[in-house]
Amino acid sequence: MNQDDYRRAFDTLSFSADFQERTADLLQKRARELEKECDKMTFGKTKKLAVLIAACIALLAVSVSAAVMLLSPSEVAVEAGQPLLAEAFQNPDAISINETVESGEFSITMLGLVSGKNLDVLNQNLDAAHTYAVLALRCLDGTPLENQTFDFMRYTMTPLVSGCAPTAVNNWTLNATAQGIAVDGVYYYLLDTESIEMFADRTVYMAFYEGMAPNNDIFTLAEDGSISFTEDFEGVQALFTLPLDPAKADPDAADAFIADTGLTG
Amino acid sequence: MLRVKGVRSVVPFGTDETIYSQVVTEYSSMLLRLACTRLGSTVDAEDAVQETFLRLLTARPAFRDREHEKAWLIRTTLQRASDIRRKAERKRSVPLEAVAETAAPDKDGELLSAVRALPEKYSAPVHLHYYEGYSIKEIAKLLGLPAATVGTRLARGRERLRQMLKEEER
Repeated sequence: MNQDDYRRAFDTLSFSADFQERTADLLQKRARELEKECDKMTFGKTKKLAVLIAACIALLAVSVSAAVMLLSPSEVAVEAGQPLLAEAFQNPDAISINETVESGEFSITMLGLVSGKNLDVLNQNLDAAHTYAVLALRCLDGTPLENQTFDFMRYTMTPLVSGCAPTAVNNWTLNATAQGIAVDGVYYYLLDTESIEMFADRTVYMAFYEGMAPNNDIFTLAEDGSISFTEDFEGVQALFTLPLDPAKADPDAADAFIADTGLTG
Repeated sequence: MLRVKGVRSVVPFGTDETIYSQVVTEYSSMLLRLACTRLGSTVDAEDAVQETFLRLLTARPAFRDREHEKAWLIRTTLQRASDIRRKAERKRSVPLEAVAETAAPDKDGELLSAVRALPEKYSAPVHLHYYEGYSIKEIAKLLGLPAATVGTRLARGRERLRQMLKEEER
């Protein structure tokens, strides 16, 4: 068998002439439906939230932000249509963090993470383990964040590893994908990256900031290997230390990964 | 190796409708043929690819670059095709072999049947290499597998195809 034979065989396949047109129409129709559904949901939920907030202020005298309940990582996975991942977030191996940083107009909460193989219903054939992390973002003034209006691309959620240049180990080199979902005015980031457990014998961070790929204007790598935001960086920022289990580190794989990026500084 | 550090692309949700036409136009042909490595019916392949595009719309994954987007579409299409195939196999009362026999395929048909008869882990690398012309390294990135694994699967898939086609000739 050669390439020509193979291509010819597959070129004999004939598909519906209108497939592309039909599919594009279907997508446009579905997009419009989703838009309408979101508008309706936002309206209904905003009213419910207003009642809840009013009740809290009157009866419990708690702040608006404290009244907002965050979803658990497992619930976020359910919202994202990832049942296996939702289950994994409930396993003892999952790491719960629940740390909050306030920066700019946001309260940023690192909820948790879990690592494992075949947790993604869409990518069941992956041989390699992945790490999935969930972060919640809400406005400090209580303004609800919505799918339609939140500028997802303006911010980056990425793992960073102490002793490694932020340009070398990050979302991009770890082949990560991020998904954003707004639920009840809170915006959740679900990050899927190649497993970061190989770095577990070092300090591993999860950074969230305003901007694109990490660079030296955003991060600084100290002599002791620690990573922090540069003093000049004024965008929204949060840096969480991830409590990974050092026993799960794979220094050889980590070194090979860093070498493979060809980026050290 | 310097990896891409730059711009992410994403199919925006509920914004410019022309983007859907662009994505469908760009990837349909490749994805439909890829789905046919797991599905005997082009109608089922169309369903798998349509479901993939719908998933792209509703999941709104953020992509690092166009290659990342393509990899997501390829993997999702393969997964959807497998789901459809499994469902069909559960329903089917007539064995696959019997259907193949009654169809009396020509040479091209024999090759298509042989590719579909390959284990799924072999057929995807074989197709991406032979039809799309990707290198082992490129396929590894697209499928999220180590290059060595892709190399092995490609070699084994090719060998199995060769044996199956040889048997057909007899």
